[in-house]
Amino acid sequence: MKRFWVLFFMFWPLLALYVCWVAPAYDWWFPGAAASPLGQRIDDLFYLILIITTVVFIGTQAALGYVLWTGAQRSDEGSEERAWFSHGSHNLEVIWTIVPAGVLLFIALYQMDVWAEYRIKTSFPEEVRNDPIAEVTARQFEWRIRYPGVDAEGNPLPLMPDPQPTDLYTVNDLHVPSGRPVMINLRTDDVQHSFFLPELRVKQDAVPGLVIPVWFEATKSGEYALLCAELCGWGHYKMKARLVAESETSWQTWLQELKAEQEFDGVVETSEEE
Amino acid sequence: MRVLYVTSVILGASAILQGCGRMQPEFSHRDEFHELIPAAQVVVEDTLREHYGSPTDMVAWEKLPLKFSAASGRVTAVEEGTATPSSLQVSLNTGADDIQPGQNVDWLTGTLLPASGEEYTATREVVSWDPETSTLTLDAPLPEAPAPGDRFVVDLGGVLEHGRTLYAEHCQHCHGVSGDGAGPTAPYLNPPPRDYRLGKFKFTSTQTSNRATREDLSRVIENGIAGTYMPSFKLLEPDEMQAIVEYVLWLSMRGETELNLVTYFGELEDDEEVQEYVEEDFKEEFEDDISFLARRWEVSQEPAALVIPKEGRVEVTPESLRRGRALYVSDKAKCASCHGTEGLGNGPQTLAVQKDPDGNEYEHPGLYDDWGNPLEPRNLRTGIYRGGRRPIDLYRRIYAGIKGTPMPAFGTALSDQEIWDIVNYVMSMPFEEREPGDGTKPYTPPEQLATASPE
Ligand SMILES: [Cu+2]
Repeated sequence: MKRFWVLFFMFWPLLALYVCWVAPAYDWWFPGAAASPLGQRIDDLFYLILIITTVVFIGTQAALGYVLWTGAQRSDEGSEERAWFSHGSHNLEVIWTIVPAGVLLFIALYQMDVWAEYRIKTSFPEEVRNDPIAEVTARQFEWRIRYPGVDAEGNPLPLMPDPQPTDLYTVNDLHVPSGRPVMINLRTDDVQHSFFLPELRVKQDAVPGLVIPVWFEATKSGEYALLCAELCGWGHYKMKARLVAESETSWQTWLQELKAEQEFDGVVETSEEE
Repeated sequence: MRVLYVTSVILGASAILQGCGRMQPEFSHRDEFHELIPAAQVVVEDTLREHYGSPTDMVAWEKLPLKFSAASGRVTAVEEGTATPSSLQVSLNTGADDIQPGQNVDWLTGTLLPASGEEYTATREVVSWDPETSTLTLDAPLPEAPAPGDRFVVDLGGVLEHGRTLYAEHCQHCHGVSGDGAGPTAPYLNPPPRDYRLGKFKFTSTQTSNRATREDLSRVIENGIAGTYMPSFKLLEPDEMQAIVEYVLWLSMRGETELNLVTYFGELEDDEEVQEYVEEDFKEEFEDDISFLARRWEVSQEPAALVIPKEGRVEVTPESLRRGRALYVSDKAKCASCHGTEGLGNGPQTLAVQKDPDGNEYEHPGLYDDWGNPLEPRNLRTGIYRGGRRPIDLYRRIYAGIKGTPMPAFGTALSDQEIWDIVNYVMSMPFEEREPGDGTKPYTPPEQLATASPE
C-alpha cells in the first residue's frame, strides 16, 4: 500500500508532462502559430521559459519520487535503516538561491528587447511610430473604431487626436493592411478593457483617461479574433470583434467603400442611370 | 449526532438541487393588466396564451406577418402516376431561399393531418428543393397523396425557436423576457432599453405613420446605438440576425396585442359585462384589430414606406451652412426650441411643462417620450448620432421625426433642399468654431472670473 501511494503521487506529474507534450498537436497552448513576427518572438520566449521550468519540474519531481520511495523502503518490516534528520546546509542554500537568481536574471535581460519593442514607443518600428492608422475606443460592450479617412484624391489622411469631419467610423470591425507594421491608439470610454488579438499575441489594457499606442503586424491576410481580455462587466463576452488584415490595395478600396457608405444620401437611381 | 448528519446531508442536497432547478421564464404583463377585474384578466391571459404561448412553448400564429419557419406554402400539383409521392410541385409564401436538406416538412391542412387520437406519421425530411421548377423532394413517400391546396410548413417554428435562444443569450438581460425593456440590467441604464410592446422603434427608414422595417432592426443590432448601452452584434451570422429580428418583431406584436386587449377590457366593471362582451363583440373586434396590426407591419416592409429623398444631398458650402443655420433657428424648423440655439440640447422646450398623452401636465418640466421617460434633446455638438451618422440617417430623422419621441416630422413643412441644408449644418456643428460672445458658451460673470483666477 505504501508503494501504491508513491506511485499514485508520481502518476500526476507524469500525466502533466504527457498532457503538455501532446498539447501542441491539439492547439491547447495557442490558437495556431503566431500570426505576427513579434508574436513569433514572444512564442520563442514562452517556449524558452517552458523548457527551463520543465527541467526544474522534472528534477524536483524526480527528487520527490526518490525521497518517497526510499522512505517506503525504510519503513518496510525488518528494515534496519532509519529516517535521519539534517540541519540546513549552508552550501545547498547558497546554490539553490544563486542558481534560480541567475536563471531569473538571464530571463529578465534576455527578454528586454522584445518587451521594449512591444511596449516602448521609441522602440516601435520607425514607420508607424507617429502614424496611427486608427483610434480604437473600447466601451461596454463593443469596440468603436475611428479611421482618419481619405482626402479628395483618395489618399489616406493622418489621424488627428480629435474627431475630424473626414473621419470614418466602424464598430467591432478593425481593418488594417497586412504584411507591414500598423499602430492604433487605444482608449476606453468607461471601465478598463483589454485589447486582445490572440492569434497575433497582442494584449494591452485600455485605461480610462489614457491614449495608449499599440502596434502589430499581421503577416498574412485574413480574419483574426479581437477580444476583450478584461473582465469588464456582465456583458463582457459581447466584446467579440474581428480584425481583418488585407492587402494594401484592398484595404484602401475598403476605406473608399466605407467613405461612400458613410456619405450615402439615400439617392440611388441617379448614379446608376447616369 | 447521526440525525444531525443525515439532516445536513439532505439539506445540502436539496439546496444544490434547488440551485440547479431551472426557473421557467414567463411573459410578464403590462401594469394595466393588473388593474383589470379578475374575470377580464382570465380572458386576456387565455387569449394571449392561445395565440402566443409562453417563452418556452411558443405559438406561431399564422395571422402575424412573420417568418416563423424556414418556409411555408401550399401544394400546387403532385407527381403523376404514383399513389404515394415523394416529389411535390409547390408554391411558397415565404422562404424560397431558406429551405435546406434535412429540414422537416409538416402538414397544416388536408388529409395528411391525423384524425384526433391518431399518431402523426406524415412528417418527412427535405432531400432537395429546386426553386426553378418549384419542386420539393422528400426523403420518403408520403402515406397518401396530398391534394392541391394542402398547406405545409418546412422546419416548423424553427426561426422562432432559434430567435428565442439568441434573444435569451444576447438581448434578454436588458430588454426583458417579454421585450418590456425591464431586464435585470435595465435599472442601471440611461437611456433605458427599449420597451418593444408599443410596436414602436425610434430609428427607422420609414414614413412617420409606418412601423420599422426588418432592415432597420438588423442595422441597429449590427451597429449598436452610439451614445447608448445598445452594443454592436456585428459578428452574428445572417440567419442568426434574421431569427433575432423575427423574434423581436414577434415580441413587439405580442405587446401590441396585449395593449389592445387591456384596452377593451379596461372599461368593463363586473363579470357579467365581461361575459356579455366575450359572447358578443370581442371576437370580431379582436380579429379586426389583429388584421389591422398585421397589415400595418406588412405595409411598413414595402418599398413605398421608405423615406427616400427626391434630391441628393446639397453640397456642403458656406452658403448651405448659412441657410441651414438660418433654418435651424427659424420658426419654420424650430430646431432651436428643443436643441438650443447653440445645439447643446438645452432649448426653451426643455424648461416648459409638457402634456402627457391623456392631456394632463407632467409633474416635472421637460420633454417625455411615449414610454413616459424624461428625454433630453440631443446635444448636437458631441458628434454622436444615435440613428446613424450617414447623411441619409439625419435626413430621415428630420423628414420623418424620431418615433415615440417629441422630435417631429418636417417632411411636409420643409423642401428637400432645406432639409439637406439643415443636415449639412447639423453635421458641421461638432466642428464649428465657437467664439466668445457668440452665444455658444455659458455666460460667466466678470466677478466670478476674478475670483476663479489665482492672482
Ligand atoms: Cu471589455
